[in-house]
Amino acid sequence: MHITPRRGRTATVIAAGVAAVVALSGCTASGGGGGASEGALLTVPREDTASFTPNFNPFTPDASPFTEQAIFEGMFIYNPADGQTTPWLAESWEATADGTGVTFHLRDDVQWSDGEPFTAEDVVYTFELQQEVLGGYAYVTEVSAPDDTTVEFTFDAPNSPAVFDVGQESIVPKHEWETFDDPATETNPEPVGTGPYTELANFGAQSFDLLPNPNYWQPDKQKIPGIRVLAFAGNDGANLAAANGEVDWAPQFIPNIQKAFVDKDPEHRHYWFPGTGSMIQWTLNTTKAPFDDVAVRKALSMAVDREQVTEIGMMGYAHPADCTGLSDNLDGWKDEAVLEACDWTTLDVDAANALLDEAGYARGSDGIRTKKDGSPFAFKISVGASSSDWLSVAQIIAENMKAIGVAATVDSPDWGQVVEGYEQGTFDTGIAWSGNGPTPWSYYRTAMSSTTLKPVGEQAFDNYHRFADPRADELLAQLAAAGDEAAQQAAANELQTLYSELAPVVPLFPGPEWGAFTDTRFTGWPTEDDPYATLSVRSPTTVLVLTTLEPVAK
Amino acid sequence: MAFVLRRLGFYLIAFWASLTINFLLPRLMPGDPISRMFAQVQGQMTSEELLQLKRLFGLGDVPVWQQYLDYLGSVFSGNLGISISRFPTPVTDVIASQIGWTLLLSATALIIAALLGNLLGILAAWRRGGLVDTVFPPLLVFVGSFPYFWLAMAALYLFGVTLGWFPLRHAYDAGLVPSFSWDFIANVATHLVLPALTIVLVSIGGWLIGMRNTMIATNAEDYITMATAKGLRPGRIMYRYAARNAMLPSVTAFGMSLGFVVGGALLTEVVFAYPGVGYQLLTAVQALDYPLMQGIFLTISATVLLANFFVDIVYVRLDPRVRVH
Repeated sequence: MHITPRRGRTATVIAAGVAAVVALSGCTASGGGGGASEGALLTVPREDTASFTPNFNPFTPDASPFTEQAIFEGMFIYNPADGQTTPWLAESWEATADGTGVTFHLRDDVQWSDGEPFTAEDVVYTFELQQEVLGGYAYVTEVSAPDDTTVEFTFDAPNSPAVFDVGQESIVPKHEWETFDDPATETNPEPVGTGPYTELANFGAQSFDLLPNPNYWQPDKQKIPGIRVLAFAGNDGANLAAANGEVDWAPQFIPNIQKAFVDKDPEHRHYWFPGTGSMIQWTLNTTKAPFDDVAVRKALSMAVDREQVTEIGMMGYAHPADCTGLSDNLDGWKDEAVLEACDWTTLDVDAANALLDEAGYARGSDGIRTKKDGSPFAFKISVGASSSDWLSVAQIIAENMKAIGVAATVDSPDWGQVVEGYEQGTFDTGIAWSGNGPTPWSYYRTAMSSTTLKPVGEQAFDNYHRFADPRADELLAQLAAAGDEAAQQAAANELQTLYSELAPVVPLFPGPEWGAFTDTRFTGWPTEDDPYATLSVRSPTTVLVLTTLEPVAK
Repeated sequence: MAFVLRRLGFYLIAFWASLTINFLLPRLMPGDPISRMFAQVQGQMTSEELLQLKRLFGLGDVPVWQQYLDYLGSVFSGNLGISISRFPTPVTDVIASQIGWTLLLSATALIIAALLGNLLGILAAWRRGGLVDTVFPPLLVFVGSFPYFWLAMAALYLFGVTLGWFPLRHAYDAGLVPSFSWDFIANVATHLVLPALTIVLVSIGGWLIGMRNTMIATNAEDYITMATAKGLRPGRIMYRYAARNAMLPSVTAFGMSLGFVVGGALLTEVVFAYPGVGYQLLTAVQALDYPLMQGIFLTISATVLLANFFVDIVYVRLDPRVRVH
């Protein structure tokens, strides 16, 4: 969700007479804009928070920036950009033979930032706390620590994708958290963590600094002197700071990035938007006719010009989806056979028209088709008004629909209203996100599983299109229970075949992960050629960037 | 005294009405905070976690009338609950960390605009057709009619980016620790210039025109002619006789504006990334953060009512006609 208000063009000269009013204070302050003198700290903008309040509680949905990226760490890090998993607080792990559990072997040289040793007890305690405070992990029946460096998880059923969830949970220190009265509402203003930058300094409403953890377990990787986070009320201010070279990292959405950001210093400024976010899809409400007809869903999908959607609507920052519906982070899982037989996600107006004719949606005299009940084939495409890029995507799709005799209108109220329509199942169609994870299991579970299916009128948090298929349930259970990679791949292939056959939703493009940087002060950034992490500042891979960057030698 | 008490009673009723509206309006908006949060994170959270959060935020399981009574009680105990979008920070902490900056910015701009505008208005009316009268009213009305957002952006680009005279953002340089040292105050002042200047530019025209027009009407009164005939100094007549009486509508306007200093600087805060409460209100509305919205609306309505009450009292002092009923 990126709010992109219009930018004013640069000013003509403002009327004279202004100068007379600038008699505010007779003093000229030292050190105006800052920037040059702040070469020391890695400066990162936060575009959606106008002012900070200290909250370093990783169990809260909106903790301060870098809480789970620089202060607390997980047992391993999964990188969606290259599909690799990096051992972190755990050296290794293995699933039990029947897939109903996993054992982690922790490092023995890790200390908390207050000098206390990190042990398996902390991991056990963290999961108890997580289940008590936030819920989730309902499938974890037991977490135990046979010794200081071993943690054993037991699940209620075979569940191979679960390892990625438990492995990336931010671990908190038991000795500190058990002293809190109410961990759920604790703001944890003086955090103790295992991360590389835990020491809070200069905390203010508009910025704060995180300095190196004196007891970090990889001291050779703490090459940067610290992190400075700046607060911004919206993208415009953050983009201005990026354009002026006052920040090192720009993780927010920058419209027209080549001209507005890169061209000002092409040698040092780069951006990289890997499609590792969730699949952005045109969600059709299958509880309403004619969207319950697979021929209609495929015909509508064939009528969408995805080249135009990604080039114009998304400014070339994304690329078209294929028939597997999987994002770029799952490229390695994609089944060649499905990709080769793929015909319903490429533009083919004639085939779309033929499909609709055949399915019995005849055109009327005005060129608009009629539904089975005789009413005109017309519907709304919902999208939140603040997402300007998705709005233009919806408009392009509405335009595309004319070619197949379908009348689509874009409906763009506030996101809250749009999401309510999705959750209650009252919408026609809409542009929405999906579930995404390290294996295809997460996506297909939200695309076509009865575990996520809710009747109309009951709040659904995923599977807004309300579609389920018993074969999908079976295959998802198989994938979850599969112990070895070959069996997982086999189940995933069958899921892809099924998805391509049913077309439960219309995938548009993998969601791009925004990220840009300037390497005038720090080098070692992840790029397309060296995708050791994404350029996100809100993902588990962020700590990989923090422990790789180094200051430019002056 | 009876007058003051009557007014006080009226204000209490108005306060209760605004409290009730503050409570009802947010809840009439579509959706709920959890859905908003979910839309924000786009599938990064599981539905189990969301349901747990719902319980944690105390939503849904408390009947609305109970929430209303709790809210009325909380207003007087000063505990406004826990913000949802900034969970688990208490609402009072969120507002307290920001409201000072908003007050500093808005009050500075308001006082400068009111003083300068009124002064220019007095001069313009006193010397009709003179230099001040021909130049300032049209110029300032022209500037004031620009879309505010555009004017702020223009000032930011011209004086901040292009000329580099003033800092581009925030209330003080990142990394400084607030203190009452001369350096820090000077730093805050330079950061204040651009945001305050743009507000002054937009609002000063209104003060000027209002003052000028009432002043012209007052100048035509008999007692001004009388004072001139008595041979009093023009300056004395201008300030003591004419302006003092022409001031009354401006005092009302000032009181009203005083009430709006809390919520009035939203766009400024967005453009200059000023850490005030205005942008917070916008995000609270977007996130449907009921407690925080209530808290900020409460602050705004309380300041409006207080300012008006204050103006009423001052009016009794200034204008004897009010005392007659």
